[in-house]
Amino acid sequence: MDIASAFGMSEIALQLLVGLSRAMILFIISAGLSLILGVLRVPNVAHGSLYMIGAFAAYSVNQIVGGAAGFWLSLILAPLFVALVSFVAERVLFCHLYEREHLMLLLFTFALMLIFGDLVKFFWGVDYKSVTAPDMLKGSVMIFGLPFPAYNLFLLIIGPVVGFALWLFVSKTRIGKISKAASVDRMMVGALGINVSWVFCTAFVIGCFLAGLGGALIAPTMGITLGMDHTIIMEAFLIVVIGGLGNIWGALVGALIFGVTQSIGVMLLPQFAIIFPYLAVVIVLMIWPKGLLKSVW
Amino acid sequence: MKKLSWIAICMAVSVGVLFCLTPAHAAKPIKIGLVDCYSGGATTFTYDVRDAFKMAMDNVNAKGGILGRQVEITTRDTKFKVDIGVNVTKELVMREGVDILVGTINSSVALAISEIVKDAKIPFFSTFSKSDKITGEKGQRYVFGITENTAMVGKAAARGLAEKPYIKYWIAGDDYEYGHALGDGVWTNLKKFKPDVKLIGQSWWKVGEPELTPYLTAIMAAKPDAVIFATGGASMVNIMKASKATGFSEKIPMFVHTATELSTLMPLGQEAPADVLGTSNYYFYFPETPENKAFVKEFQDAYGRYPKVGALYGYLAAQYIIKGYEKAGKFDTEKFIDALGGLTVDSPVGPVEMRACDHQAQLPMFMGVTKKSPDYPFFIASEIKTIPGPQTVPTCEEIKELRSKK
Amino acid sequence: MFKGMIHKNTAFFLAALFVVFLFLPKIIPSYYVYFIASVLVMALLAMSLNLVVGFGGLFQFHHGVFYGVGAYAIALLVKKTPIPEWICFILSPFVAALAGLIIGLICIRLSKLYFAMIQISLGSLLWALAFRWYGFTGGDDGIHGIPMPSMISGVNNSYYFILIVFVVCIVALFMILKSPFGSTLQAARDNEQRCEAIGVFVKRHQLFAIVIASFFAGIAGVLFVVLERSVFPDLLFWTLSLEILIMCLLGGWFTFAGPIIGAAIMLSLRTFIGIQTEYWTLILAVILALLIFFLPEGVWGYFQEKLKHRKEAVTERGQ
Repeated sequence: MDIASAFGMSEIALQLLVGLSRAMILFIISAGLSLILGVLRVPNVAHGSLYMIGAFAAYSVNQIVGGAAGFWLSLILAPLFVALVSFVAERVLFCHLYEREHLMLLLFTFALMLIFGDLVKFFWGVDYKSVTAPDMLKGSVMIFGLPFPAYNLFLLIIGPVVGFALWLFVSKTRIGKISKAASVDRMMVGALGINVSWVFCTAFVIGCFLAGLGGALIAPTMGITLGMDHTIIMEAFLIVVIGGLGNIWGALVGALIFGVTQSIGVMLLPQFAIIFPYLAVVIVLMIWPKGLLKSVW
Repeated sequence: MKKLSWIAICMAVSVGVLFCLTPAHAAKPIKIGLVDCYSGGATTFTYDVRDAFKMAMDNVNAKGGILGRQVEITTRDTKFKVDIGVNVTKELVMREGVDILVGTINSSVALAISEIVKDAKIPFFSTFSKSDKITGEKGQRYVFGITENTAMVGKAAARGLAEKPYIKYWIAGDDYEYGHALGDGVWTNLKKFKPDVKLIGQSWWKVGEPELTPYLTAIMAAKPDAVIFATGGASMVNIMKASKATGFSEKIPMFVHTATELSTLMPLGQEAPADVLGTSNYYFYFPETPENKAFVKEFQDAYGRYPKVGALYGYLAAQYIIKGYEKAGKFDTEKFIDALGGLTVDSPVGPVEMRACDHQAQLPMFMGVTKKSPDYPFFIASEIKTIPGPQTVPTCEEIKELRSKK
Repeated sequence: MFKGMIHKNTAFFLAALFVVFLFLPKIIPSYYVYFIASVLVMALLAMSLNLVVGFGGLFQFHHGVFYGVGAYAIALLVKKTPIPEWICFILSPFVAALAGLIIGLICIRLSKLYFAMIQISLGSLLWALAFRWYGFTGGDDGIHGIPMPSMISGVNNSYYFILIVFVVCIVALFMILKSPFGSTLQAARDNEQRCEAIGVFVKRHQLFAIVIASFFAGIAGVLFVVLERSVFPDLLFWTLSLEILIMCLLGGWFTFAGPIIGAAIMLSLRTFIGIQTEYWTLILAVILALLIFFLPEGVWGYFQEKLKHRKEAVTERGQ
């Protein structure tokens, strides 16, 4: 590994920053997945599809509005659209299924994933799509004397903002507290006279909103394609399981582990990049069988 | 229990009767089966193959068909999965009774189909699979390659790169057979044309990796003279975006095989990095010949979009089938295959010969750099150099040696 | 041997069914013979999974790995070693069982989704190996045109081979489930703590079930190679494993024959909707969702339930 020794401190520090910014997107997506896992106990395989819909919706908003305004608007409208889709899905389908076995729920969401995949193809067509970041987030800025993409800097800011908002929701709002309680003992919450169904619905919609937000945020950094749901969903599940199922902060820990090992790993051992995530999960779970942080599962 | 067994027997019988009712074969049209991935990310390429193929066949049908017989096209979706690809191919061969198979973007499926048609004795036209094994090492009588393959791209790209002053190279790409074969293809040929080049490192990311920034920053830290990117699928756009955002494209010269493809440049709009070197079999704006212009116009009128490289492959497949039957003069598979060997057809990129020794179409390769265009809302290739087909393909002796190995 | 295990009428019905299957190649076009053979392979795979999921209650999410290992084992043994083919056939399922033992040993300490995810990760490591090791496994191009003994090549011959192996395996699986081991496994699924309390080594039983299931999955993998003469990394990918899981749940995962029905439904839908439309996944998924929504016990489970009710009604009236 003589290449590794060729890297200076500033290169490694920069690489770390790249990994952190990647972790922010992963965190936003998997926090949503984890929230749904914790409160509703639904392993939502369709989460990746909602992320994909978020990216495609962001593209559409950008097409219609255009310019910097289009980008900022897409960050709000695309996740809201996804939230709407998920609201309908929850009220029409999921709310009848909560008592089912986990496996059944998982397969049901898998079916939804297939449905969403074809619907996206039907509505948005087959060509690759791309979203442009506004001028202030384009190009790169110099950090440690090296170029660093400005958009990744933006992600480094927005990640903690979303994390903080999520923390406010879970520990400061009434519905957040109830959903936290419902995740531990839903019978008890129901017995207290609280309409658990609506709590579930809120948690589900917020979780999906986060998936949509992740999609809208990632849109300017990559080509938006059909099939991006498949790539993200397994990664999101692995992250959630590392951190502890249903624990939002576990998702943060998992995302950080993934982002950083990936970015440092490709610098040192690029030929093994394909197996890093799986290896990380195997190692973590062999030492901590229930994930790193406390889990409700 | 008794009732149940009666129901089961009735069902079995009715299903059996249904199955036996296969379509009649009297005065049948020529049946052509298109096997390809029509869902997921690959569709942006495969739709063009299918549509151009249909367009050409519709024309021929309107004129009375091939030697008086109409052409009928059936399509099957493989979902980019080999097992489904094999299932639908066998279905087309055994149930549908197709005369010719055309398709697929997945090399693994193409290799599997190759084995099936070898037994079934049905010609198969490989339209988008880039593995050089298809007409090289694993090539055989019933398989025809009408797309560039990794060996051809490698040789063509190496010819272009050998003229550049770069010495220290880095290779990066999608971590699958196609990426590695492409990287190796370019590298071994480059080494031959210019022995003093040095490979200082490689990085490979998983197929469909959304975030390429860490890879690019890592490569930048190693300071190579130039980088060869072997990308396909979703990475085609991702690598362009990431190289622009990190400032990579301004600092280090890049060769990205797919950089100048319309599939890559159209979605990027004005945000593509400039001066990235790329190769392609086809641009709708080049060569500026009447044939190409007529083809583009016809395609645009029919489907309302610019033809991408896949359209050329689909069109060529159709031409070979039409001209092959006409040359053979009758409907006999073996005669048809013999007729195809050495057959030259006209195409938007000029006459293309189907080489007899390996059944590989001698497609010319165009090499250009990305550049802003006043005519289109997206970047196009400019400073285009044409590398004629015979200069890109391996020689017949090399093919013979490859096939006799084992 | 089967005394008391199955009803006399059922036995008669099954024997008749077997005879029908024996004569099928004489009656129906060869494509459907091939199609039924592929259903049988998938059905065997799904049944082996159901041993662990339905009767063992484990979250075996990456069962496809063992299928793939079996397939790759036979492909590589036949292609790369001088070992006689028939010995390769016997060896391959054991290779799959070994993979099952190793992966099982690591997974078994965990529960539910954790079990599932570590299994997916381990399986994906194997997938990456097949995907990346170009020199040995052929990489993502896979290996095609694997030579098979002439006795079992060709559509009809491979069909008979698959049918016979399938029947033998089904009988074996049935015996295993009716054995004390099978009963213990189901008891452990229903109440793990109680089983532990009465001195059953639950984990050991579950591990054993995983090994047996991967052995049968390995057989299914071998049959796949007999039928298609190809292997490729998709066989080890997690989407395939989810599909098998769907077959189990769709057919009825608490029933013995459910997975066969599930596999038949899945493959028929896939094949015959695929002929009609490009959007076949959409239709398939909608049908799946509806079935999950309205038949939580699976198709076969639903019929069994109905049947039981009717029988009860009949006996009540009789009294």
